[in-house]
Amino acid sequence: MLIVKDLVKTYPNGTQALKGVSFEVEEGEFLAVIGLSGSGKSTLLRCINRLIEPTSGTILWNDIDITAAKGKEIRLIRRQIGMIFQQFNLVKRSSVNTNVLSGRLGYVPTFPSLLHSFSKADHERARNNLAMVGLEDKAHVRADSLSGGQQQRVGIARALMQEPKIILADEPVASLDPVLAHSILKYLEQLNKERGITVLCSLHFLDLVHRYATRAIALKDGQVVFKGLPSEIDDKQFKEIYGQDAERIEIS
Amino acid sequence: MTSTSKQKSNIMKSTLFAPLLSLIIPGSGQMALKKPWRGFTVFIITAVLAFLVEWGLKYYEIGKMTIGGWTTSWLWIPLILFWLWNVLDAYLISKQKTAPVIVAVILAATVLYLIAWIVTDINLDRLVTRFDAAKTVATKVVNPDYFQVYSNGEYKVCGWKCLWEYVSAKVKDEPAPLVSLSDNVGDIFGRKGTITATWWEKLTRGVQIGERIPGFETGKLIETIAIGLMATLFSTIFAIPISFLAAHNIMSHVPGGKLIYYIVRTLLNIVRAVDTVVWGLLIIVWVGLGSFAGVIALTIHSVAALAKLYSEEIEHIDPGPVEAIEATGGNFFQVIRYAVIPQIIPSFLSYTLLRWDINMRSATVIGFVAGGGIGFFVLETIRVGGYQQYAAALWAVAVVIILVDLISSKWRNRILEDKPRAAQKTTWSKIRSLIYLILGVAAFIYCWNVTSINLKNLFNPGVTFGRLLKDFVSIDLSPSVLAGVTKQMITTIMQALMATTLGAIVALPFSFLAAKNLTGKSRFSAWIYVITRGVFNVLRSIEALLYVAIFVYWVGIGPFAGMLALAITTFALIGKLFSEAIENIDTGPIEAVTATGANKLQMIIYAIVPQITPPFLSYLIYQWDINIRMATIIGFAGGGGIGLTLNNYFGSLQYHKAGTVVAIIVIVVAILDFTSAKIREKFV
Ligand SMILES: Nc1ncnc2c1ncn2[C@@H]1O[C@H](COP(=O)(O)OP(=O)(O)OP(=O)(O)O)[C@@H](O)[C@H]1O
Ligand SMILES: [Mg+2]
Repeated sequence: MLIVKDLVKTYPNGTQALKGVSFEVEEGEFLAVIGLSGSGKSTLLRCINRLIEPTSGTILWNDIDITAAKGKEIRLIRRQIGMIFQQFNLVKRSSVNTNVLSGRLGYVPTFPSLLHSFSKADHERARNNLAMVGLEDKAHVRADSLSGGQQQRVGIARALMQEPKIILADEPVASLDPVLAHSILKYLEQLNKERGITVLCSLHFLDLVHRYATRAIALKDGQVVFKGLPSEIDDKQFKEIYGQDAERIEIS
Repeated sequence: MTSTSKQKSNIMKSTLFAPLLSLIIPGSGQMALKKPWRGFTVFIITAVLAFLVEWGLKYYEIGKMTIGGWTTSWLWIPLILFWLWNVLDAYLISKQKTAPVIVAVILAATVLYLIAWIVTDINLDRLVTRFDAAKTVATKVVNPDYFQVYSNGEYKVCGWKCLWEYVSAKVKDEPAPLVSLSDNVGDIFGRKGTITATWWEKLTRGVQIGERIPGFETGKLIETIAIGLMATLFSTIFAIPISFLAAHNIMSHVPGGKLIYYIVRTLLNIVRAVDTVVWGLLIIVWVGLGSFAGVIALTIHSVAALAKLYSEEIEHIDPGPVEAIEATGGNFFQVIRYAVIPQIIPSFLSYTLLRWDINMRSATVIGFVAGGGIGFFVLETIRVGGYQQYAAALWAVAVVIILVDLISSKWRNRILEDKPRAAQKTTWSKIRSLIYLILGVAAFIYCWNVTSINLKNLFNPGVTFGRLLKDFVSIDLSPSVLAGVTKQMITTIMQALMATTLGAIVALPFSFLAAKNLTGKSRFSAWIYVITRGVFNVLRSIEALLYVAIFVYWVGIGPFAGMLALAITTFALIGKLFSEAIENIDTGPIEAVTATGANKLQMIIYAIVPQITPPFLSYLIYQWDINIRMATIIGFAGGGGIGLTLNNYFGSLQYHKAGTVVAIIVIVVAILDFTSAKIREKFV
């Protein structure tokens, strides 16, 4: 179980991105994080694996205090938390295989990894994970020769290399068109249902939230304004989250 | 009530306050009116010009006039007008207007150029009165010593003419003159002869090290190429780790990194400010004369230059992958290996190639001080008046540098395209890589030997090296030395100023001829294009320092000759850059203006000039930077300026004073670099 309590993040320039956020996530949940642009979704997700240092508050994960971890402890925590990014964040000039293998870096000893030497088992893992996202034949092409949807699948395969217990996905489909969006989210859904991986995923479109999430929280100006089931987000809630002028639109 | 009192103080300020301030201290009124940059610039210009006028009066009697027993310089007149302009400007700014900048520029330029003219010893009449000398040296330069003809029992140098006679006689099947390659060719390119065996010959031919054996004597040109290659290789190897220490985004992740970052950045800037040739002076005291000293000097300067470029490249990487690798639990080194290095490879390679080009050029002149390569050869031939031998070297250098330039830019373009290739290697590509590797290693060993690299010498410094280090820390700051050095430094700056101006003015019309989009499509204009571009490229391939000898022959030793040599390279580089800028303009406005029925001149003024002004300004500043650096060494070949002083101090082992010169060069170059960067930011 992941417990976030009174999380505050103030950036050095004074921006208060999170103003005391508290919520809980049970193991095996698919939690959608929604909110307008600038509401603090990315900041929140990055605080969970300490890519961003929270200003105050605590994050407890199965009784481990993530916020108190230091140095090597942080890295040991991070390697159990996969992350998927809006811009995929692949190393464009490296091969797909190298990108996927790099997901294993938290596990392997430093020196061999610097020489690009991975164990047989890791290579086997990479093959399996690429097969899982349907890209086994692309292992040896450069990452930037893939389409956006394929790149995001490589991103998923990289996260899977960590054998994560949680996956943080920061708007994983915002750079993709709707059809691809579904295909990517289906992978996440599959991982969530079949392997029991907890998923925290920020999303822009409400119908995607309805379709995939088991629970949702909404942020507005760094504060939680909604917690509950996706189906509970009615028109009134919607206006509260997105402002009075917002219109609901659907994507197929 | 508050509004009226505000108005009152505003009126007080607007009408009198600011102009009065500016009358007392130029620029202060502008500053008070919240135009700090304008004010600061006005202040600096006034201060610098006032200093120059007084200084010029004292040392050169520039504009000297006596009014009723009071001696002063009439250059104060334009300066006072400038001062008044500044008062007017402050007044107009308070009325929400500004005085026309062009007036200020003209006034300041008048003072500056008049002083520059005198200081750089410009004597246009010498260009004419010594025209015969120019003709003589020109004849020699176009008839390089490549061939000799045997007649009446002796060998004589003969130019292209006798090669022509030889070939035409052969074609006509007549008895041909006895033409052969001259000794000079052997000196430049190499010849069969005897060599001193090194460990390589010991390994391959089983002779003792130091034994004299028959072999290929390397020519000075080959030595030059080897120096450039070795320096590029070494500097790349050293610059890569250093660049990480000088990259902000990397060092902010490391404890104590900020401090290291600032120290490394500062060191790099200092090392870069000292020209390769000046480094050469220091290095020969350490390891002695020779190609090795040249390699070290080039390497030092180029490590600093490369590390700076590399580190900027590191700072501009996409942070996304870094974040992603951190999120997988990777540590600092893994992040560098998997997220940073793959991103920077293409730009690093392309900077290395660019640096290779620059290093090859530097390698042609380093011999002036370090005693290796073609520069040394040029120095020797000029000393004995062997202008045809010197010319042969120039032409050879031109060919090599043009080739290097071509290869380097072609290769760079290919790298920067960065096409994704199949990551899986075919057998053929593996064999090819192997061949490249073998060739590379062979070239490396050959160059190592040619440049007589001797690492032992590094730990066995020359006898005066210790003194040099000590003396450099306690530099000589006595007034007489400072005055002398200041004088030479001003000369150097003025040389760069005059050369940039002159070169650019002459280059301007030619750059239009060398722009493909303007020359039209007729065959005649195509020829003009090819010829102008060709001239730019040939002239550009030879360093200013190598040109100096020609102008020394023509107008005599001194700053004038140095300035002219600088102007030639300026002409060539600026011409090329300008014409490329013209080729890159947007054609839309040209169409629009032409459609109104304007003629070609009107078209240029209304459609082209506004577009090319910003890049032109930026190139001028860039060239000015280059010229300042070049001007600091032009004195080594008799071109006047600070280089001569430096050479003398080093030659007579006066290291205290040499240290003063180097320190002043570093400071001046740093200030001018900073200024030009600011100007570029502001206007371009
Ligand atoms: N590095 C930073 N420094 C300062 N302010 C930042 C930084 N990163 C984000 N912010 C600010 O913090 C607030 C929250 O940003 P965040 O990126 O978390 O929002 P978001 O909900 O992910 O928005 P988006 O949908 O645009 O990605 C915004 O106001 C943003 O401008
Ligand atoms: Mg975001």
